[in-house]
Amino acid sequence: MDNLLEIKNLHARIGNREILKGIDLTIGRGEIHAVMGPNGAGKSTLNAVLTGRADYEVTEGTIVYDGKDLLSMSPEERSWAGIFLSFQYPVEIPGVTITAFMKAAVQARRKAQGLPEMKTPEFLKLLKEKMAFVQMKPEFAKREVNVGFSGGEKKRNEIFQMALLDPTLSILDETDSGLDVDALKIVADGVNALRSPEKSAIIITHYQKLLEYVQPDVVHVLKDGRIVCTGGREVIDAIEQKGFDQF
Amino acid sequence: MGHGNYIDPFEISPRASLGRNDKEGGLGRNDSSPVISSGAEGGVEKSYFVGAGEKLSLTFVVLPGESRDIEVAIDLVGEGAEVDLKGLYLCGGDERVTFRILMHHRVPGCVSRQLFNGIAGGSARVSFEGRIIVAPDAQKTEAFQENHNILLSEQAHVETTPQLEIYADDVKCSHGATIGRLDEEALFYMRTRGIPEDEAKVLQMLSFLAPVTPEADRERVEKAVIQLV
Repeated sequence: MDNLLEIKNLHARIGNREILKGIDLTIGRGEIHAVMGPNGAGKSTLNAVLTGRADYEVTEGTIVYDGKDLLSMSPEERSWAGIFLSFQYPVEIPGVTITAFMKAAVQARRKAQGLPEMKTPEFLKLLKEKMAFVQMKPEFAKREVNVGFSGGEKKRNEIFQMALLDPTLSILDETDSGLDVDALKIVADGVNALRSPEKSAIIITHYQKLLEYVQPDVVHVLKDGRIVCTGGREVIDAIEQKGFDQF
Repeated sequence: MGHGNYIDPFEISPRASLGRNDKEGGLGRNDSSPVISSGAEGGVEKSYFVGAGEKLSLTFVVLPGESRDIEVAIDLVGEGAEVDLKGLYLCGGDERVTFRILMHHRVPGCVSRQLFNGIAGGSARVSFEGRIIVAPDAQKTEAFQENHNILLSEQAHVETTPQLEIYADDVKCSHGATIGRLDEEALFYMRTRGIPEDEAKVLQMLSFLAPVTPEADRERVEKAVIQLV
């Protein structure tokens, strides 16, 4: 099977308000897709449904990920299956160090996959390697997750976690983000480094800025809960010139 | 302080530390933990007098299984006395846990710090009454008190009532109390990284309790937290 993700006729609502009104989206293995759209288009909802947030209700449609029914999977099961969400606003977890956090994540996945626990030296080596990969200072290993981090440090921490968990599908939520250029580059480098024929990514964004650093294979425009345009790089140029009203 | 009749089946004093607050030795004597989680159901009343230059460090650990009524009175009676009082409580079922703390600064230049963190699930009821009295003569007193609570269920109930009675004018005193729930956003964040929901809850609860968990009791606290989830 060539497609990693197949979204068909997806309808979702929060409370009584229907936000996604029939989305069709197919992502092949090795592809990077950008989903762009104005505020209120449904970008956050699409992201929330893909990652399993409880407050959104899917009323119609299906999502098949790697041959499995994604909507029946819990957030942790999605993670074990290789999905990673990079948060727009990473959450602080006081009292839990990055090392403890990532160790819990790695061991939980191994347990779910029926593998024995990773030995501590092996884990620490992996941790060190991935921190170096995203140019994160070693002392961050002992810091509490995101506590007192700057915006750029939080982004770097997200990309570090992405690199360590080595996902098959990365979902990057940059919906309204006022990312500065440095943070953009961190994200872009991380995504580009993980590019491979088996791995895919979805970049959900309002702005074209990030897409100057990451070359998407396919660009979708999301508007009023539907995909209204799908194309290549030229779609980004069109948005840059005339905004979202043209669609 | 009249204690009346009470049964005290708990041997607390050996694990409490009361030491000289001397310059060479520093202040680092603590990790004392009267564990009052086992033994007969019932109340505990304790009173302490802390003299000049002495330091008292006490940690109360209440683990699930029984209701407790704990009354502690501490009198700071000598200049330079210092008290570190901590409490950790975990309760579920229909347990009742009550803390009544009296921290009485009777003389100048003493310091007291209190930190009580607890988690209530099931239909447990927790009551925390923390009273600090600073006598008219007790200038340069520093007295701090914090009580933080997490509710795990709709039926659990926590009441926290700090009381400050300050009769001196040159003092530093503060108190803070919070009652909240587990941070759903943090739980979701952990789950998206593959940490199962229950384990994410345990991690969050242990980190909340960490500042009041004595090293010697870490394992049993962890076990109790896992049980409570």
